[in-house]
Amino acid sequence: MSKKDISDYLWDGSGEPDPEIQRLESVLGKLGHRGGRPVFPDAVPTARPWWSGLPFGWPLRIASVAAVLAMVFLWFLVRRPKPGLSTASGWEVARLAGAPRVDTRTIERANGRLAPGQTLVTDSRSRADITVAEIGEIEVEPDTRLRLLQSGAARKQLALDRGVIHAFIWAPPGQFVVDTPSATAVDMGCAYTLQVDDSGAGLLRTTLGWVGFKLDGHEAFIPAGAVCATRPGIGPGTPCFEDASPAFRAALTRFDFGPAGERASSLDTLLDQSRKRDALTLWHLLGRVDTGDRARVYDRLAALVPPPPAVTREGILRRDQSMLDSWWNELGLGDVSLWRTWERSWSASDHKLR
Amino acid sequence: MSAWTEGSGDAALVEAARDGDRAAFGLLYDRYARMVHGVLLARAPYSDVDDLVQDVFLLALRRLPSLRDPNSFGAWIAAIARNRAHDFHRRSREDVELTEDVCAQEDLSRAAPEADAASALGAIRSLPEAYRETLILRLVEGMTGPEIAARTGLTPGSVRVNLHRGMQQLRETLGYGSG
Repeated sequence: MSKKDISDYLWDGSGEPDPEIQRLESVLGKLGHRGGRPVFPDAVPTARPWWSGLPFGWPLRIASVAAVLAMVFLWFLVRRPKPGLSTASGWEVARLAGAPRVDTRTIERANGRLAPGQTLVTDSRSRADITVAEIGEIEVEPDTRLRLLQSGAARKQLALDRGVIHAFIWAPPGQFVVDTPSATAVDMGCAYTLQVDDSGAGLLRTTLGWVGFKLDGHEAFIPAGAVCATRPGIGPGTPCFEDASPAFRAALTRFDFGPAGERASSLDTLLDQSRKRDALTLWHLLGRVDTGDRARVYDRLAALVPPPPAVTREGILRRDQSMLDSWWNELGLGDVSLWRTWERSWSASDHKLR
Repeated sequence: MSAWTEGSGDAALVEAARDGDRAAFGLLYDRYARMVHGVLLARAPYSDVDDLVQDVFLLALRRLPSLRDPNSFGAWIAAIARNRAHDFHRRSREDVELTEDVCAQEDLSRAAPEADAASALGAIRSLPEAYRETLILRLVEGMTGPEIAARTGLTPGSVRVNLHRGMQQLRETLGYGSG
């Protein structure tokens, strides 16, 4: 977007005032932050050194020597490098409940580290919190198994074999990737929950920002408030908003993962039940139906969200990518250039179905 | 007297706050409270936002040791705010189904008896999430585009897109003629 596309006044309040914007500022400004600075606690509650509880009666020199020796011993236990692995690139793992394990080492008291090549496992009573380098946090639910594949400067990559994680990432798009048995999730700057069952089937729910899901050229873009299921051997299904009607969601599941003979009736239901907000799903369906059905999907989507002037029916029916992208921008779910920029880096990490 | 001034960088303030310097954290509050308030107002009832702002900063204070890059404090606390708002809705959902439409129709009369403000805020909240937050930071909190980019960690380009397209849709929703 060029600077000419947005008025100076909207951008930074300079230039010719826009009366409508001024009116909104006048009306809405009353709702802005007014509160004074609250009183914060006396000290930032960082973890206190274990030796801080020693009795004051001990001679200071003995206590100091003991403390130094204990620190060295503790460091050796917790941070000694495994053969062939560098802990410098590992992520910090904090125990939230129970006794999560990193490989064979149980995290009970002091925090652990998860290095590339290592596996974190939680049992039915354990939970953990992972600090993802400088870019985020992951909460790990019980009965979860995940592996750290890489933690480079440009790409952080996990494999979620089973269980549930809540990822909270503030990195630039594309830096954080999670492999599952049936698809790869690429973070676009967001928070989401990802779960994988024992069969390898998955479900991704985006709570803010958005996530890309990709496998062998089959892709899905999941914005906040939407979900997307995956199946081994099939890959990502079609995303939909969670507040879609039950009939819509059931039809979508049948369309994505049901017998081929049910696709036609499922599509009928999807087109019949779709709201304007379900344009997210319909846009994805344009690439998932055959040519004959694509015209029906086009007509329904156009009725809900009219395509921009440069987009033609013929172009969409032949799946012209630039027209599809332009129409996506009309849906109000974010600019498509954001993930097209990062899509090029995905091709290097494409995974085959397991 | 505190050594910190408005010109002190975020990284220095974060490091000092980690060491227990309340004045440093207070300056971070002054610098980011508007942004946090706006992020929350895009998602939570107006009457709850002030309390949620304090929640967010207290959460940030507790989690400060885990922030590896002090220069990303703004993006980090914005993400905490969004997550806090989501948690708020998730807990509220047990009693009342809070849909976007409900939030859009929020009654502000208890806190701000301005029908126009409620209507305008509802209109913004009815917009796609990508535009909602940026417009609130601009129109409610009075932040400029460059300030929004600097505080939230969004690129100036993304902020431009969100402001421009969001304002287009807002004009349509409110039935404005120009733009």
